[in-house]
This record gives sequence, C-alpha cells and structure tokens, in this order.
Amino acid sequence: MAEHAHHLPASSIRRWLTTTDHKDIGILYLVTSLYFLVVGGILALLFRFQLADPSIKLLNAQQYNQAVTMHGLIMVLFVISPLAFALANYVVPLQIGARDLAFPRLNALSYWLYLFGGILTIISFFQDSAIDAGWTLYAPLTTSKFSPYVGVDTGGLGLALLTASVTVSTVNFVATIFRSRAQGLTIRALPMFTFTVLLTVLMMLYAFPSLLAGIILIASDRLLGTVYLSSPEGGSLLWDHVFWFFGHPEVYIVLFPALGVIAEVIQASTRRHLYGRNAVMIAMTIVAVLSFLVWGHHMFNTGINQDIRRVFTITTIAISIPFDAIILAYIYSLAKGKIRVSTPLLFAVGAIGVFIVGGITGVFLGSNALDYILRGTYFVVAHFHYTMVGGGLLGLIAGLYYWYPKMTGKMFDERLGRIHFVTAMIGFNLLYFPLYIAWQTPRRVPIYQPELTIWHQLATVGGVIFGLSFLIMFWNFFYSLRNGKPAGNNPWEAFTLEWATESPPSPGNFPAIPSFSGGKLTFISTNGAHHHLAEATHYSVYPLAVSLGAFLSLAGLTVHQLLLIPGLIVFAISVVGWARERFIAHEEPFGERWPFEKVDRVKLGWWTFIASEVTLFGILISAYLYVRAASSTWPAPGEMLDVWHGATNTFILLTSSFTVVLALASAKADRRGLAAGYLGATLVLGLAFIFNKYNEWRELFEHGVTFSSSLPASTFFLTTGIHGAHVTAGLLALVYLIYRAAKGYYGKDNWEAIEYFGYYWHFVDIVWVFLFPLFYLI
Amino acid sequence: MMVSSAADAVYSLFNTFLTIGTLVFVVVMGYMLYHLVKHVRAKEVKGKDVELGELPASEGLPYKLLISIVLSAAVVVTLIFSTFSTLAYLETPPADSLEIRVTAFRWGWEFTYPNGKTVLGEAKVPINRPIKFYVTSRDVFHKFGVLSLGIGIDAIPGKINTYWTVINVPGTYEIRCFELCGPGHGVMTGRIVAVTEQEFKSWYEGGG
Repeated sequence: MAEHAHHLPASSIRRWLTTTDHKDIGILYLVTSLYFLVVGGILALLFRFQLADPSIKLLNAQQYNQAVTMHGLIMVLFVISPLAFALANYVVPLQIGARDLAFPRLNALSYWLYLFGGILTIISFFQDSAIDAGWTLYAPLTTSKFSPYVGVDTGGLGLALLTASVTVSTVNFVATIFRSRAQGLTIRALPMFTFTVLLTVLMMLYAFPSLLAGIILIASDRLLGTVYLSSPEGGSLLWDHVFWFFGHPEVYIVLFPALGVIAEVIQASTRRHLYGRNAVMIAMTIVAVLSFLVWGHHMFNTGINQDIRRVFTITTIAISIPFDAIILAYIYSLAKGKIRVSTPLLFAVGAIGVFIVGGITGVFLGSNALDYILRGTYFVVAHFHYTMVGGGLLGLIAGLYYWYPKMTGKMFDERLGRIHFVTAMIGFNLLYFPLYIAWQTPRRVPIYQPELTIWHQLATVGGVIFGLSFLIMFWNFFYSLRNGKPAGNNPWEAFTLEWATESPPSPGNFPAIPSFSGGKLTFISTNGAHHHLAEATHYSVYPLAVSLGAFLSLAGLTVHQLLLIPGLIVFAISVVGWARERFIAHEEPFGERWPFEKVDRVKLGWWTFIASEVTLFGILISAYLYVRAASSTWPAPGEMLDVWHGATNTFILLTSSFTVVLALASAKADRRGLAAGYLGATLVLGLAFIFNKYNEWRELFEHGVTFSSSLPASTFFLTTGIHGAHVTAGLLALVYLIYRAAKGYYGKDNWEAIEYFGYYWHFVDIVWVFLFPLFYLI
Repeated sequence: MMVSSAADAVYSLFNTFLTIGTLVFVVVMGYMLYHLVKHVRAKEVKGKDVELGELPASEGLPYKLLISIVLSAAVVVTLIFSTFSTLAYLETPPADSLEIRVTAFRWGWEFTYPNGKTVLGEAKVPINRPIKFYVTSRDVFHKFGVLSLGIGIDAIPGKINTYWTVINVPGTYEIRCFELCGPGHGVMTGRIVAVTEQEFKSWYEGGG
C-alpha cells in the first residue's frame, strides 16, 4: 500500500491546494459550484423580493440590473456547468476504468482558473458596478459609452479566465475519453453519463471560443477603443451572432450532463439498460450537431433575412424531435423493470417532469411568429428556468445524491432526501409556473404591470421555499459525512464501473486494471497496477500558482495596478516551474482508443486545443467579414495598409515554419546542436515578424490610423493583434525550447516537444496565410 | 375578433401551440406517472437484472420509440406549417398603410408621421386602417412591444425593422420595452391611442 503512505489526509490543506487527483478536484469543483449556487441564489432572492412589491426600494434600477445580470452569468457559467464537471471529474475516469484524467495538472489548472475567474467576476460588485447589461451582454449597451464602469471590465476579465478554464477542461476530457478507456469499452458501450460528457465537451470545444471572441470584442472596444460594437455596421447584430453561436449550444452544454445523470439513475433504479440505448445516443449526437444551427431563433425579431428566419424556425422546432426521442426513451425505460424508489430517482423523475414543460414551451419560442410577442417576456424566463433549473440543475442534484455514497463512503439520510425532493418540487413550481401566467412582464424590469403583482408574489414565496429546500440537502450531506451508514461499494446495485471499486476509491481508483475485453468486466494484473500506481504523481503546486498569477495580473489591470507586476512575476515563474516539474501521469499501455489509436495523448490534446483556436480565429475573421459586408465603403488594397509589410511578414513566417520542420528533423536525426540552431533561426524570424509589425503599426499610428479611427482600422488591429499575441506566446515557448536544446536536451529519443511546438507554430502561420489576403489584398 | 389583426393572427397561433402542447403534456405525463406507480408496485417483472460490469447487449429496433418519433415529427410539421402561414400574413403589409416611424431612445418612444408631425410617448392612430411601424433606435438595442395588439419587433441602432397591424377597437394600448437598455428599462413605456378615422384626421391635420 505504498501509494497510501504518501497520500495526504483529507484534513491536510496542502492536499486541497496541490492535488491533481481527479476525485479531489471533483470535490473542489463540487464545493465551489455549490458556493456559487448560494451566491446566485441570494441574488435571485434579492430581486424576487423587489418584484414581490415594486413600491419598495430594496434595489435601485442600476443595482437591480446588476443583480439579474450576475445571477444569470453566475448560475449558467459558474454553477450548472461546473457542478456537472464536478460529477464528470469524479465519475468519468471511474466509469471508463482510467486512473485519472489524461492531464492531471491541467485538470487542477481548470479548477483554479474557474475559482479565480469566479472571484474576479464577483470582485466587480465591490467596484463601481458589476456587469449590468444582462447575461446576454447585448451591444451596444456593454460599450463604455452606456456602461462606463471599471467593474464591467473586471467582470469581463473574470469571464475570460472562465473560458480559459473551460478550454483546458475540454482538451482534457476529449483526450481522456478517447485515450483512457478500459479494453473493450467502445464508444457505443460508454456509460450514458460519460457519453453525455463527451458530447458536452465537443460542444464546448466549438461554442466557447465564440464566447471568448465575444469577450475579446467587448474588451477591445472598452479598453482599446475599437469600434466593433459601437458602430451600426457591427453593433447589435454582430454581437447577437457571436453571442448566440455560443449561447444556444451553451444551453445544451448545461443540460447534457444532467441527461446523462438521469439515464444512469433510471438504469440503476430499474436494473436494466436504457430502452433504445443506441437510438438515444444517436438522438443526442443529432442534438449536439443541430445545436450549432439554431442560434438564429434568438434573432427572429432583429429583422434578419426572411428565408433565414424560416430555416431557423424549422431547425429550432425540429430539434424537439431528437429531444422527444431521448425523453420518451427514458420514460419507456422506467417501464422496463421494477422501480426502486430513492432520492436520486425522485429527482431524476422530477427533472424529467418539469423538463417536459420547459421543452414544450421551448417549441413556442422556436416559432418565429410567436416569438414576435414572446421574446423578451417572462414566458422566456419561465421556459429556460424550467429547462435549465428543472432539467439541468435538478438532474445534477439527482446525480449528487446518486454519487454521494461513492464520494464519501457514507449513505445520506433517505428521509431528509425525500423531504428535500418534495419541498424543492413545490418551491420550484410555485416559483416558476406563475411566471408563465405573468408572461406579459418584460424581462429584467423592477417595475411591471400592476395587475400581475399576485403572480410575482407567489413566485417570490416559491423562490424562498425552493432556496430553503437546499438547506435540507446541505445539512443532510454534512450530517451524513460523520453519521451516515457505510455505503459499501455498490449501494444502488448499479452496473457501471464506478461501482466496482471502493467508496471512496483510493488514489489510482482500482485495485487492478479493469477490462471489458471479454464483453464483461474482469480485473487483470494486480501487481503491475500497483507498480504503476507507486510511480504516478498526485500533487503539484503549479496549477494553483499559474492561476493565481493570471488572476493577479488581470486584477492588476482593473482592480489595483500594484497587483500587475507581482502577478506577472508569479505567472512567469510558475509557468517555467510547471514545465520543469517532473510529473508522471499514468497511462495504461493498452485500452480502447478508437478512433485515435495512432494519436498519442499529448498530440490529441494539442489537436483539440488547436481546434478551439481555429474556432476562435474563425469567429474573429467572420466578424471582420460581417462588418465589411455591412459597410458601404471600405479602403481599397494599399490605401490604408502597405501591402509590402504584409508580404514581407508572410515570407518571414512561412520561412519560420520551414525552420521548425528542420529543427524537428535534426532532433530526430540526433543532431542536437543543429536542432538548437534551427530553433534559434525560428526565433530570429519570429522576432523579425514582430519587429516588422511594430514598424507597420507605428507608421499607421503616425498617419492617424488607430484602433478607434474606423472599422477597417479596428478590424485590422484587433485581428492581426490577436494573431501577433499568438506569435509572441509562441516565441516565449521557443525561448524555453532553445534553452533546453542548447543543453543538448532534444535528440532522437526526445523530440516530441519540438513536434508539439511545431503544430502550434504551423497553425499560427496558417492563420496568417488567411489574414494576409483578407486584410491586404482584397 | 380581437383588438387587432396582428393580435388575431399571433394569439390564434399561440392557442394552437398551447392546445397541442397541453395535449402532449397530459399524454406523456399521464403515461409516465401511470408506469411509475405500476412499476414501483410490481413484484414480478420481465427479464433479468443487469449485473455489475455488464455491457449493453445489442437490442432489436425500439419500435415504441420509432412510432413516437414519427408522431412527434407529425406534430412538428404541423407546428412549422401553421407558423409559416401566420408569418406569411404578418409579413405582408397592405400597400395603403399609414406609415409611422418609431424611434426608441433611452428611455422613451418618438413617433414621426408622414407629414413630419413628431410626438413623444403617445402615438395617435386611426382604427380600421393598416398601420405600418418603421422601428429603429437612437442609442442601444430596445424592443418595441405592444402585447395587447400582438406587436413586437426589435429597435436596433442603424437598422429599420417593420411591423404592421390593423386595430379594430378604439382604446389605449401600452407600449413597453422588452430588451434591457439600462436603468430606465422598466419605466420605458408609451401608449398607442386608437381613435376613429375622423378623430385621427382632425388631430393629424390640426396643429396639436
């Protein structure tokens, strides 16, 4: 039991600050997301009290707008998704028979970035004003002209940290689910929860870069003075496209893990596999793909093209067909075996019940004609709370009860669990159903039509009951930690892999390597497993340090400037420390890896990351093309920009791609000095690119072409500036590679780092190959 | 007949959706609750329990589910077609409309008539005559909404969106903003006052 000897006890603070174990990080995510749930809930109660009696002045209009905005942002981005990822962190590796996630330190990094992102977002309350433009951040209300608060900048930077966290998580879960499955565990045989998490991260991969691009547009307009969102050619409609391309997939991103939980709970409660399992998986995949083709239904009233609106009406209403299939398959599954009633089952069934109401009313909103009157009303508020709180949050609560015994080794109090369920359902419906009746209330107003008062009062009472019901859960979980009955390995007599190990599992998860290669679970080679376990590392201080550095640097920009320099120093030191740390992440030599048998884990991670970068630049370039198409005039090639600067830089950058290829070839040929030389040449070329760009920008500034001078200037500076930042980041990594190469580190046994750097560098070059003609030649 | 042509079209579509939606809800919830109770009480059930670590076996076609999918597809097609026919009506304004420009601003509404007459907060309009609103904004994103008349369209800076209706009943109808536009969003109200053609004419051509 050597691995236990160096494992820190649960009471150790150092353990929780430095852990990279997926189970510990799951617990951290869980506690943090529940904390944010309380914060978001208190904000909701504040404005529900205001709404109960508009004549009282609990919140003034500005405070009211902050409360509803931050309530939305916190609940969607900092509660539901992270709660889902708390469960995913804990459960997915167990369900697929992995020892940990593919990149344990990156997993810790995701968590700390999330926590600090949340802290930064909340700090904005204590500045002049938190974000106040609604969680949808509509332009041009978010521009500094209409929202001139430094707190809004702080909140935006907090959201940027969150998107970084999500990107890192996405890379990690994609690599883990594709590369760390037990033998015989094909994608088709994946447990339902893991399958929904897989679809969730794939949606995140393409949705979150759009949010990041949006935040970049807002931040650049506010801080640098570009005119994307303040100009009528960009403005409201540009923002709508960018935001909802993220925003609609996001609602499925928060929902899918809950659908996975509900499936698991139904299966365990009936002791049968899901009815129509393959059909459900296909339906879910269809939803995930379609989720990127329905964003226009949020723009039915904006006057976009009639035919496009009809297409979005079809896609949006039609997406209910695969949803019907999923929900009906769940209901048919309930009629497959004898149902054993438990708190998780009650929450799962309750979630289905209210989700049906939310889903049906969602179809109303898919109708362009109905949307004319429904958009912006409480009908929408009621609908998305029935889906996101009802289907999403309550589904995840089912998961919390379901896996609590696995996480703690103790059973919770079933009677308290049922009392929680009953009060939560009463509170939920009393809170949200009256909002359907009072649907004519405009969203986000403290004052509304007086005849609707009674419904808002009922909703407030429901809100209090719903909020208090969670105290029962908190007490239950807290009390049962000490006093609960021992859970044993498999209290629900469920059949997925997480129940085949101890509760809670020790580091390394399984006493032996699980395998499904015979079509049934077996454990193999006990000794080998223990041998591997002793080697794996479970602690690193760098994820916390890097996140802290990032947090302080960003806080230095908008909270207090004294934080900036220490932040950058902490960041730089900890990034280098991270790179130099000897950290062993375990990977089984075999397993089920379709379709990535030939792509190693790190490479798959890189490709996933680059895919998210492709989306980011795709959105930024689309934004440029969008405003250009909307503008009546645009400078001809050569009029604003000097083509020669662009052409020179194209030549420089392409040459630098070539030198990276030569560096890799030299390393593989074990010519270590030559590898260092080619890397050095790459650095020189990269610096030349930056220097040339510096001159180009300086000349432009001298001619009065600045960030804010026009849309052509804004789009040029921002898009090529983001690209330049990528080049700069690459150069910083290159300095580190050269330092190691000069010490003879890279040779025929050790060239992967150069290869991975090469992917990034080639990608950055390819982006330039698009930017050059788009900005200089047409 | 309702107070306006747009309200007529939109709310009858709403009722179609509500009827079908309620029906679907009752059937699905009833089915679920019935089976829940039945299977909680069941002593004997078909098939054997799945054991720990057992992977899903391949199963036959889920006929019940396929039939359900066909049924929901039929509902979906119905809803899409009824939406399209309502849309076709809502988006075909008659040629002889009274054209009024609506400019939203923080926080109020300005109305400009064809003869240049401009009023704030309250628009006087004739009944029984098509009115076409040209809606835009002077500052941020707003939404021009008169729910009782079935009117709702975004007011966006730099863009003009249109919406039309015929009001059948004289009266005062409340305008509200339905897109968050800052601290005054909740009090950004206005009125549409529908009067008889003669009354409108004397107001429109008169000085006031």
